[in-house]
Amino acid sequence: MWSRAPYPFDRRLWALGLSLGLAGCYSGGSGDETDGGATSASASASTTASGSASATAGDSEGDSDSETGEEPPLPFIPGPPTLPRLTVSQYNNTVGDLFGGPLPSPALEPDTNPYLFFNIGAASTTVSEVGVQRYEEAAESLTQAVFADPARREALVGCVPEAADDACAAGFIETFGRRAMRRPLTAEERQRWIGIAAELADGDPWQGLRMAVSGMLQSPNFLYRVELGEVDVEASAAGDKEVRRFTGWEMATRLSYLLWNTTPDDQLLAAAEAGLLDTSVGILGEAERLLADPRAATTIQAFFAQYLDLGRLAHVERDPELYPLYTPGLAEAMRTELELLVDDFISREGADIRGLFTTRNTFVNSDLAAVYGVDAPGATPITFVPVELPEEGPRAGILTLGAFLTMNAHATETSPTLRGRYLRERVLCETVPAPPDDVDTNIPEPDGEAKTLRERLEQHRADPTCAGCHAFIDPPGFLFEHFDSIGSFRDLDNGYPIDSTGELDGKPLNDARDLAGALAEDPRVARCMVTQLYRHTAGRLEVPEERPGLRDVEEAFKAAGYSYRELLLAFVTSEAFRTVATPEAE
Amino acid sequence: MSFFHSKKKRLGRRTFLRGAVGGSAVALGLPLLDAMLPSRTAAAEDLAGDPLFGLFYWANGTPWHAGHGAEQGAGPADLWTPAETGPGYTPSELLAPLAAHQVSVATGLEPHTEVPLQPPGQGDGHMRGFMVAMTGDRIRPEGFDHPSHTLTALRPTLDQYIAKHADFYGDAPPRFRSLEVGISGARFHDYGHWNAISYNGPDAQNPAIMDPAQLYAKLFNVPDDLVALGRRARLIDAIHDDAKGLRQRLGSGDKQRLDDHLDHLREIQRRLELTSGTCELAPAMPADSGDVLLKTATVAELIAVALHCDLTRVFSFMLTSPATTHSFANLGVPDGMHKTCHDGAWENVRKITLYQMQAFALLLDAMAAIKDPMENSLLDRALVYGVSEYGEGWKHSVKEMPVVLAGGCNGAINRGVHVREPGGNLCKVHTTILRALGIECPSYGFNGAETTEHLTGILA
Repeated sequence: MWSRAPYPFDRRLWALGLSLGLAGCYSGGSGDETDGGATSASASASTTASGSASATAGDSEGDSDSETGEEPPLPFIPGPPTLPRLTVSQYNNTVGDLFGGPLPSPALEPDTNPYLFFNIGAASTTVSEVGVQRYEEAAESLTQAVFADPARREALVGCVPEAADDACAAGFIETFGRRAMRRPLTAEERQRWIGIAAELADGDPWQGLRMAVSGMLQSPNFLYRVELGEVDVEASAAGDKEVRRFTGWEMATRLSYLLWNTTPDDQLLAAAEAGLLDTSVGILGEAERLLADPRAATTIQAFFAQYLDLGRLAHVERDPELYPLYTPGLAEAMRTELELLVDDFISREGADIRGLFTTRNTFVNSDLAAVYGVDAPGATPITFVPVELPEEGPRAGILTLGAFLTMNAHATETSPTLRGRYLRERVLCETVPAPPDDVDTNIPEPDGEAKTLRERLEQHRADPTCAGCHAFIDPPGFLFEHFDSIGSFRDLDNGYPIDSTGELDGKPLNDARDLAGALAEDPRVARCMVTQLYRHTAGRLEVPEERPGLRDVEEAFKAAGYSYRELLLAFVTSEAFRTVATPEAE
Repeated sequence: MSFFHSKKKRLGRRTFLRGAVGGSAVALGLPLLDAMLPSRTAAAEDLAGDPLFGLFYWANGTPWHAGHGAEQGAGPADLWTPAETGPGYTPSELLAPLAAHQVSVATGLEPHTEVPLQPPGQGDGHMRGFMVAMTGDRIRPEGFDHPSHTLTALRPTLDQYIAKHADFYGDAPPRFRSLEVGISGARFHDYGHWNAISYNGPDAQNPAIMDPAQLYAKLFNVPDDLVALGRRARLIDAIHDDAKGLRQRLGSGDKQRLDDHLDHLREIQRRLELTSGTCELAPAMPADSGDVLLKTATVAELIAVALHCDLTRVFSFMLTSPATTHSFANLGVPDGMHKTCHDGAWENVRKITLYQMQAFALLLDAMAAIKDPMENSLLDRALVYGVSEYGEGWKHSVKEMPVVLAGGCNGAINRGVHVREPGGNLCKVHTTILRALGIECPSYGFNGAETTEHLTGILA
């Protein structure tokens, strides 16, 4: 009963670990290792096992095209469907759209975000009993609020029912049901909810309708996004696996939650009904419409906040005695800075989103200006102004800004290891394995020789058990050593001069500015963004057979000059977004 | 602060007290119809009352030390293990806060589960020690990923195993099969696995209620319109019908998730239909507090009232979550606790552990304060299992797991006993608990941790 493994990707990761042993340190993640023709777990493991750090360096420098040159590209085969429960924000947005007007804010079970994304938590976890009770109470309080007001309930229902199963009531069940379930009700469903309205009306048709609405809001057909597709005969015949294509209704739901994080509006449902979402052209048209709405910007921000792991900023604490520039609002300002930057990149027509990692433009309030030591005329604690960071200065890109530097440091000292890991895992989508069991992961206390944290870490790395992974994580992590635990520039650590040299996959670099230059040419950055967008959308990790489809999206992203908007448009019209495998039986 | 006089007379669980008690309680105006009271068998109405089970969890173990108990080595002293074993042991410094309740302790035990080599990192005590303490099994290897610290159980945690076992509630469960409460919201990281200790199974957590007002509402704010509650209960049948078509289309994993959701709905429905089983003796609406001890006292009182009124007989109390980053700034500790352990700040870990034991004592105090007319307290009826994920947090060692068994469990547990068994199987605790509660248990433990033995000195 409890034997289910919800992450199909893991089997492959396992095999990788097996083949590498404890001393090695795998660096592939979502990268190229399946390109050589490996599609099974074992084959992919053997591909990667042949290389470790040196193969990784080769990957990072190679152009993705050249690696597939010798063999025909693998076909894209869609992975299994997921059944994501609406996240808290999706639920709130959805009921807001269904009812309009002010509503109570019911407490719901908090979301989880394994592998960074709330959609993955929503698709893999089981709601608790308390969570189900909260759905019940939420449906009760929301419908009470809407139906208590005669004007409001008439506006919602559109007519005045004389009985809970008259034409007015039945018509409402039909139209509301279509909006709530994001597809037309079946005849059986229509009968069910009309019947419930009649049974529970107790002489008051409004009460009957309220109960029917409350029931729909508690139905798994509403609370879960049911996107299972229909068999695509042609696509299935082309390969050995059955391919299902999402219906127009399901596409409306997918587009709407991806781009607006809410339920489809009437126009999108109408497009689904008219069959427009069965074609790329129709999908493109609706996606462009959704992207033009301010809700899209908010939704894209939420994706970036998860992809960049910004939630961790909320837990940052620093002692103002040690860090006089650390004001109570500083961590929040760091977050706002990144939001403004992301917004700038997604709103500027054609902007290369990878510039996030290289730009010298940013937005600061007065607190951040003090941390960065820049002039920011007009900035106050609550006013952010655009600034250009000095050309000869130490900063370029978000890996030199407050959010990254602070949330990947300890309260009293920096952490090249955390910073290096973030670069590996979040920016490059590589996997850093755990330390071997029973290894002392403590950084040694300073002894007579080691003066700086770097020197202490280097002693740590002299231990061969630790060297495998720390050689992978720490050298890029050292590049940030000029920035302290709140991101201020410093020349000394523990009273001794800082050495910020390091390397990334064998390429020597002087500091974080150098790294920004290296990232500008690193194909892993854009690939990782595509991968994370896919995980966020699918609610699970990608399976190896899906990689070719993601590679196609990546190529389109590249061809469009890495515009994030163009990436989304390419993605929603791709087979990776439009098709799915048949659910696994027992 | 206390809602009860310590010698307050208890009129039995089926008799509801009316009026203010102790100056701070209010009576809810619930219609009380005798015909609607649950029919319980006479056998269940024995004077002692049904046994209660509680789980108290604190994070990051104990301060490290060299040598144990009487055999101290060089290095920091062992402030946890009592020097003597057997009944009447002299409490150690860290157990002193619990001494008034004559708790029994088991020392030297450790997880016996086999640790799969892949994916690596599963031996980490935050996960392994925690999970074996809770479930008698290892963490789920599939999907484990140490960098993201993905963590889930293979099976229900002990509180849920008991709350759903036929031998415990039979066919007459109380209003809530279990309650899950917590004090510190700090968690190791944000990815969602680390702020709950109670699981129904893989990826199925029971997040703790952290807000005393929410706990209060759940326990005491029951609407009084029985007809309206009946309608809500009826609606749940329609929701079940509506899910049938969907269920048939799903793969096995999602079908299981949906089935669990639907099972929870049945439990909600049962509660909506229960027109009794609410508590007339409601304390005043509690205030939240950032102070760990104050908040613990508040939540402990609510739990005690819930147990007293038979709203539930099982609870889990998460003071801090595994690997907690809770900052005990009030104790003068500059960093979060996890880092404090990693940094080897022994004195700070000592202070924090002592403080966590003081919180544990407040829970036991609240349970000891409520007594029935025969002078049996809730704690006399209860078995409260106190545990952490580590022996000690500095080296992250799961050797010498700290185990406290508090309460008398209606005489099934010998109180004030220290059992020491270096290297012993931690799952002997589980067999001891299950047998003390009258749950059939020929053996317990999984994946190498199986045992048929219990802690002989502690199980009466």
